[in-house]
Amino acid sequence: METAVEKKFAVEIIYNGITKKLQVEPEEQVTAALQRAIAEFHITQNPHLLSLFRQDGSVVPENESVERAGLKPGEILLLRPNAVKGGDGLPRLASDILQRTFSTLRECGRGECECAVYWIGPSESNAVNGVEHPIHRRSPFGYDIDDHWLTDFWKRLATAKHSVKAQVHTHPGEAFHSATDDKWPIVSQEGFMSIVIPDFATGEISLENAWVGRLGGDGKWRRLGSPEQAIGLA
Amino acid sequence: MSEIQQLNRTILLCRDYVSAVVSDDCICQSLQSVRVLCVADAANLSSHSGQSCLTTLVSLLSRIGMQLTLRIPEISMIRRQPPFRGTRLRDSLLASSSNLVVGATVQEETSKLEPDLVFVLGDSAIEERSCPTWRLSGSEWQGAITQAAARAPQWTVEWPIGAMTSAVLAAGEAFKYVMRRFPLRSKDDRVFFEPSSDSKWNFGSITLPARKLELGEVDIVSAGAISQAALYVLLRLPQLRMAGRIFDDDTTSLTNLNRNMLTLVGDAGSEKVQLVTDRCAPEIHLTPKYQRFSAESPDGRQMAPYVLVGVDDIPSRWQVQRCTSGSLVVSGTSHFGISSSCHGPGEPCCGCLHPMDDLGGPTAIPTVSFISFWAGLAMAVRLIRRAVGASYSLDRQHLWLTPLRMDQPHAAVWSPVAPRKDCPVQCLAVSELVSSGAFASPPR
Repeated sequence: METAVEKKFAVEIIYNGITKKLQVEPEEQVTAALQRAIAEFHITQNPHLLSLFRQDGSVVPENESVERAGLKPGEILLLRPNAVKGGDGLPRLASDILQRTFSTLRECGRGECECAVYWIGPSESNAVNGVEHPIHRRSPFGYDIDDHWLTDFWKRLATAKHSVKAQVHTHPGEAFHSATDDKWPIVSQEGFMSIVIPDFATGEISLENAWVGRLGGDGKWRRLGSPEQAIGLA
Repeated sequence: MSEIQQLNRTILLCRDYVSAVVSDDCICQSLQSVRVLCVADAANLSSHSGQSCLTTLVSLLSRIGMQLTLRIPEISMIRRQPPFRGTRLRDSLLASSSNLVVGATVQEETSKLEPDLVFVLGDSAIEERSCPTWRLSGSEWQGAITQAAARAPQWTVEWPIGAMTSAVLAAGEAFKYVMRRFPLRSKDDRVFFEPSSDSKWNFGSITLPARKLELGEVDIVSAGAISQAALYVLLRLPQLRMAGRIFDDDTTSLTNLNRNMLTLVGDAGSEKVQLVTDRCAPEIHLTPKYQRFSAESPDGRQMAPYVLVGVDDIPSRWQVQRCTSGSLVVSGTSHFGISSSCHGPGEPCCGCLHPMDDLGGPTAIPTVSFISFWAGLAMAVRLIRRAVGASYSLDRQHLWLTPLRMDQPHAAVWSPVAPRKDCPVQCLAVSELVSSGAFASPPR
């Protein structure tokens, strides 16, 4: 006679000081258990930043099974962000960045073609202090970046210890993120910012009517509520 | 001036749980509609701890936007209580009306209008009330709040850490009172905002030098909410001596008033470093550096033996860590959580603790006065303990505190900081482990 062995066990999850039991299975991936813990506490604010931590301060590896991660019945796990921010401040654009961006987009696009620039700054800060205008083919309906320029661009960034903070491009009319924009950002890293400026950037020098969004951990682009949410304007 | 603008970050934090059917205006009005009565007699206000408890309570509640009524005698201030001005305690607190946050008034009790909440210092007398009432009590390093009917000791000690702790515990209860008025997105979330009838927090007693508390040179990176809270605490410590530099390239905005403890309404537009320097003088001599901290600048290459970091940007924390040969104290907040840690030479560094940048989020940070204050208070205590050679043990190198339900056993989680092979700073602790072969298998 075969006997069914109950493999499930409970761990204790702490969030905001409150403890809840979570049933897990040994073969289950930690990331699945993490998602259920996040759902159990109804967390909607930056859930992608959350991890499970042991009482010794180590993070429970998310790419392992519960068993391989060594979780034990009754173990107490802290659900908290893996990146904790401090008091004030948004990453700020140097004072001339917006003006330079619009000037470039207008001069190149001449009110009839799409154009793109990249905002760059030191890798170890959120500061944006440069505007890179790529060599590209342009049309009223899109733009294609020159491969050689792109290779050279990456080399220059590496030498200068800079990184791309955002891509900015124009649309003929309304600002939105097209399927092409979704699929081919210059950087496909979570948190990367994309900005689309309407009317070939011929309007007011402002991001008020722009589409401003960030790439999420799930690979989807999310529009931000307002430019102020995303960018500190000096 | 928009009152909703001043409370913007607090409203944003409320949004973590408040239903979308409630407008921002409605949240703002609810915060501002709460009437709090603060009661203290002359005996409880005759000590520096009692006075610090009251001023901190008034500041934290006002910065939430609440309406305060004081039932206290006039009494001389024993020590300065920046940013409150003057030498008479009651006058000084009344003068802060609408000066910490516009619309947050501080008045003498004159009418019989029933308050929503009452806070009583120590064993001060209070008549029986139907509204929620707590007593604030404690000792040098421990603060507590208890139901009014319970007995509580008089404030008598000079050392004020416990007093400020009890004030921040009380402010948390006031905030939860407002949250309980709102419909929440999930009714299960109500558990986070249940009142704590009794709660306490103990930073742990240590022996202090008999005379001066000499900290020497201390550099501070950021003049924002957490640094201001830490300095607010340090300014109240008797016989403290310290000097140093403070780095920040930001100016004060209205949205800072909800949590920047040394800032007044009239400071909007001023450089944060100058404002903080002015408020801290003469007790603490700071040199303002109106610049973003840079490891490559001459200033960045010569850091003081102690460095406080309240900056939001995680790569900046790594930069400061690389430049620091002494001890680094870091505090941060995330929604209702605070993180506080200390990193001495050879110990796992802040890169080991915060190895990831928050790429998702250059967004407006949601926070409220009492959360930021806890972060600064924990930072100040860690600095003091480190300076007098009484640091927390390494199994308490990191504190994760969620001060909503301080009556719960896991409101605070102390832990060691594990050195990480992928530490972005590649600190000494990691280098030693790498060379010893301890990272033969992938780090957890």
